[in-house]
Amino acid sequence: MSANSKAARRRSILPGLEAAAKHRGGFDITLLTLVLILLALGLLMVLSSSYPRAYSEALRTESGSPLDYFNHQLVFAVAGLFIMYAASWVPMSLYRQGAKLLYIFTIVMLAAVLVAGTAENNARRWIYLGFFSFQPSEISKLSIILLFADLIAKYRARMNTLKYGVVPYVVVLAIPFLLLFLEPHISCIIIVALVALTMLFIGGMPWKYLLTLFAGVALLGLLAFFVSNHVHVRILAWLHPAAYADDDISYQVRESLMAIGSGGLTGLGPGEGRQKYLYLPESHNDYIFSIVCEELGLLGAIAILLLLALMLLRCIQITLNAKDRFSFLVAAGITAHFGLQTILNILVVTNTIPCTGVSLPFFSYGGTALLMQLVEVGVLLSISRELPLSNAE
Amino acid sequence: MANTPTGRASVQRPDNMMLRRTRSLFLVCGIVAFLLLGFRLFWIMVVQHDEYEEQAVRQTVVRQNVLGLRGTIYDANGKILAKSATKDTVILSPADIKKYDQDLDGIAKVLSENLADYGVTYEQIIELSRDTDSYYKIVARKVDREDTDPIREYKNSITGGVNGIVLSPDSKRYYPYGSLAAHVLGYVGIDNDGLAGVESQYDNVLAGGMGRITRLRDKSQIGMLNVKYEDYTQETAGADVKLTLDANIQYYLEKHLKQAVEDYDVRNGAAAIAMDPNTGAILGMASLGNFDPNDYQTLSEEAEEELATAEEEEHLTKTEMSELRTAALFKQWRNKGLSDTYEPGSTFKIITLAMGLDSGVIDLNSSFYCGGSTTVIGRTTPLNCWKTDGSHADQTLTQAVQHSCNVAFAEIGERVGAKTFYKYCDAFGFLELTDDKEATLTAKTGIDLAGESGSIWWSEDTFYNPENHSQLASASFGQTFNVTPLQMVTAISACVNGGYLMKPYIVQEITDASGRIVASNEPTVVRQVVSEETSATVRQILEKVVGDPVDGTGKNAYVAGYRIGGKTGTSEKVAQDAAGGPKEYIVSFVGVAPADDPKIVILTLLDTPSDETGIYISGGQMGAPTVGKMMADILPYLGVDPVYTAEEKANMDETVPSLTGMDVNEAVALLEQRGFNARIIGEEGEVTHQLPGTGATIANGSTVLLYAGEEPSEEQEEMIDLSYLTYNDARDYLAAMGLFVSTSSSVTSPSTQAVLAQSIPEGTLVDHGTVIEVTLVTGDQSMLGMY
Repeated sequence: MSANSKAARRRSILPGLEAAAKHRGGFDITLLTLVLILLALGLLMVLSSSYPRAYSEALRTESGSPLDYFNHQLVFAVAGLFIMYAASWVPMSLYRQGAKLLYIFTIVMLAAVLVAGTAENNARRWIYLGFFSFQPSEISKLSIILLFADLIAKYRARMNTLKYGVVPYVVVLAIPFLLLFLEPHISCIIIVALVALTMLFIGGMPWKYLLTLFAGVALLGLLAFFVSNHVHVRILAWLHPAAYADDDISYQVRESLMAIGSGGLTGLGPGEGRQKYLYLPESHNDYIFSIVCEELGLLGAIAILLLLALMLLRCIQITLNAKDRFSFLVAAGITAHFGLQTILNILVVTNTIPCTGVSLPFFSYGGTALLMQLVEVGVLLSISRELPLSNAE
Repeated sequence: MANTPTGRASVQRPDNMMLRRTRSLFLVCGIVAFLLLGFRLFWIMVVQHDEYEEQAVRQTVVRQNVLGLRGTIYDANGKILAKSATKDTVILSPADIKKYDQDLDGIAKVLSENLADYGVTYEQIIELSRDTDSYYKIVARKVDREDTDPIREYKNSITGGVNGIVLSPDSKRYYPYGSLAAHVLGYVGIDNDGLAGVESQYDNVLAGGMGRITRLRDKSQIGMLNVKYEDYTQETAGADVKLTLDANIQYYLEKHLKQAVEDYDVRNGAAAIAMDPNTGAILGMASLGNFDPNDYQTLSEEAEEELATAEEEEHLTKTEMSELRTAALFKQWRNKGLSDTYEPGSTFKIITLAMGLDSGVIDLNSSFYCGGSTTVIGRTTPLNCWKTDGSHADQTLTQAVQHSCNVAFAEIGERVGAKTFYKYCDAFGFLELTDDKEATLTAKTGIDLAGESGSIWWSEDTFYNPENHSQLASASFGQTFNVTPLQMVTAISACVNGGYLMKPYIVQEITDASGRIVASNEPTVVRQVVSEETSATVRQILEKVVGDPVDGTGKNAYVAGYRIGGKTGTSEKVAQDAAGGPKEYIVSFVGVAPADDPKIVILTLLDTPSDETGIYISGGQMGAPTVGKMMADILPYLGVDPVYTAEEKANMDETVPSLTGMDVNEAVALLEQRGFNARIIGEEGEVTHQLPGTGATIANGSTVLLYAGEEPSEEQEEMIDLSYLTYNDARDYLAAMGLFVSTSSSVTSPSTQAVLAQSIPEGTLVDHGTVIEVTLVTGDQSMLGMY
């Protein structure tokens, strides 16, 4: 009876998946649909927000076209969809088996980027691969999610011990964090750390360890505030925007708020934004949502937020119905990743929290990031193929 | 514990804790976070919307004011007298050069290379750039577009443009005819404001409307946004103004006025006004010395020389020199015909004559006696006529005007009476009677031209004084009051046009940029001052002043074939006399033509002719010939057909007909019919050759050479000096050499008119049959002292 009631509850949460489950091997159309809608909107916004920048660069370099950014993103989106589809066919057991390998690959790539990477804005984050640049830090997210899921699923029962509940994770995180710190790519560390904490929390880590870790992170943050001028300035600039008016970061935030604020209820109209005309730096990237607000207004922004929320809700539903602990934890990690990036990105562009470089999933310009997001969707779709309902029968 | 998670049997479902924690974390955090985001967005986008939008608009919107091009000024025939062209003003922003770390060397090079014509040097740019607080240093104003194009190119040579150079649209005023009608047109200042003349009077009409470009700019100002967001409030071109002034008439006025200034060594400027008496339209208005409105701040060469002389002789300080220079500038800008007042002297007798006739106190049968002087009530000394020997003696009214007899006119004034005299002066627009009997009286014509001065007249109390009629007596022949030349022309026009005082005007019509007429001036009758009959009589008498070769003081204004009326004027400059200086005069002449149906009235005045030219200083000797020459050019231009008297015809040059091949006797008959003599060379019955050839115009009475079988001599003759020979003598001397003479001067008396200049200089070898053109002196020098 209790199994029945659980199944009933699952059914009630997950009506759509039931139907999918009846055709074994089918994946969740709802998630795919939401992702495709978001991806299409994201591409349009990349087109709109990157056009002036690409235009001015084409003028300056006397080569290229105003569509360069859009085309680049489009190529990754199309390629990403194929890879996503392929990834959805990979059984979860294979992901679990490959988790350690992917982790090692990630470490190698993160080390390689420090040696062979190309620097941009004082950070060494990209490896140039002939026709496009590749950003290893983006892989680290999925890589950590998979390895954590594997470890937590394996040591679920011993999560309350220091040896199995804390140490492995700290060790697993320490190496990529060090490498990411050297790039530096602090925002990636923050995202990965938060995703990791989420997974540990869900994985049953006792409160004492959680709080200790949290305190540790807070301590590190405090340390960073005093040690790193970079962090220091960003926080002060957030607190006192006027005093840091000449600062680049403060400038960016101010321009972002102007973009969002001038959107009003209905926006200036698609493509009609002003701030993207070189006023708002990274208008196609981390600050793409500001342009969304400017051009589509509050109604458009809320609609897109709702789409993102629906997608996240679907992720949560898939998570809760995952067939086993590994899939469950992977789904939870990916959900946390999407959710955190979405929320943090919008908190940053609205200057609700200090500025840090977080991109908006499916919207922000960035090939590797988009590719990896679609791979993560593929993994979720794979999980949705292996729904446990057939077992329950 | 399942080490092989893929094994179906060992599948471990997420436990309750995991599900619970997932559900609560994701749902709670998700809902809280999304609500927070929604609220935050609402706050920024709706509550703070205005504030942020204003900031965004402020940084992206550029507003630029553009002044529309100033309207064009046309003459009556549509010739362009003033026109504006688009220019650039080049501005340097040292602050931007510093802020954006621009290539100062490059900027200075480009500017100095392209603006060398405007006096810009490399060092100057470097010097300007030192003031790094300034955003606005004018490098050069009103630069041609072709000179700024390379600068514009340089500015756009890098993405986002070179900061620190600004090209601001401006315009420059062009006056294609230079100084022609300078005083009427006026000029515009550096900010395109009309500062004088029509430019000032019609400034609000001519001035272009301010336009505004509102556009959004991208941050680097590449111009990406411009296409999309540009929003114009189109600047409007100023309206065009068409004058009543005719550039050709103006040219003739200026040409002969200039000649008069040279011939008579006129020291203090000269003026001429031509008016259509039937409408009051100004056909021409010249003032000398003048200036070039293209470059109105530059003094004429003569003025510069005068200044240099003054500096040398009087050892002036820098301040004194600059004061002198300013005074000289103001003097050259002054429209003498409009802004200066003078005592009109005898030309005013026309007015006195008209009021006398109109009020009925005189008529054509009136007679006057002048014994050289007369007594005036209240005047301690007798009033002298200009001719004190009493030779005027008994005169008819016409003769009194011909003689310009002061005594006769004092009597006419006396007969009219002071009150009536002033009433007429009021009606003629010379003064405005007021309730204040002690006030100095004044009036203006109200012409639509900036800078008009008012007249100055005795108060009524002074003028009406029954114990003292000396003011009235003097006023009767144009003295002891001051009027403007324009007032004189306007009043005299009323005397000859049937009696109607017309309001003078200079602008015919105003058309907007699309060519639509937005305003036009119609002839305005202020009032009828005298009757048609009076006017006809005045015209009749005035014609006698010019047309009578014996008694007419204005005979030097006569142009053969034309009926010209007129009146001379010579007035002593009283102020100068009072100051104890040498006697100085303003000589003037007013001409009216055609006398039976006037189409034009021309007043010319010459201020202070020199007494060193040997020519007697008088309106008759200086003013009349000047106006005569003007009329000789202008009347044919106006399409007035000449009608010659028999005597004139007899005196006129004649055209030689084709005679070759004719019977000799027939040829001689034909020549005699045309007033020529004939000399036959050879013995055959048929004319084989003629000198001069067919169609040559030569002096009446010339002897044409008819060759009957013989050939003309191939020899050449050496030209002789014809100066001071009369026209007839010149003809006869040349005839003896086989040469001929012709003239474009009007031939009134070929036996007395002397040759002034000849077209072929003395000593030149010329072929037989050559026609030499000569200029004749107009009038003789026998009648000295013509008023």
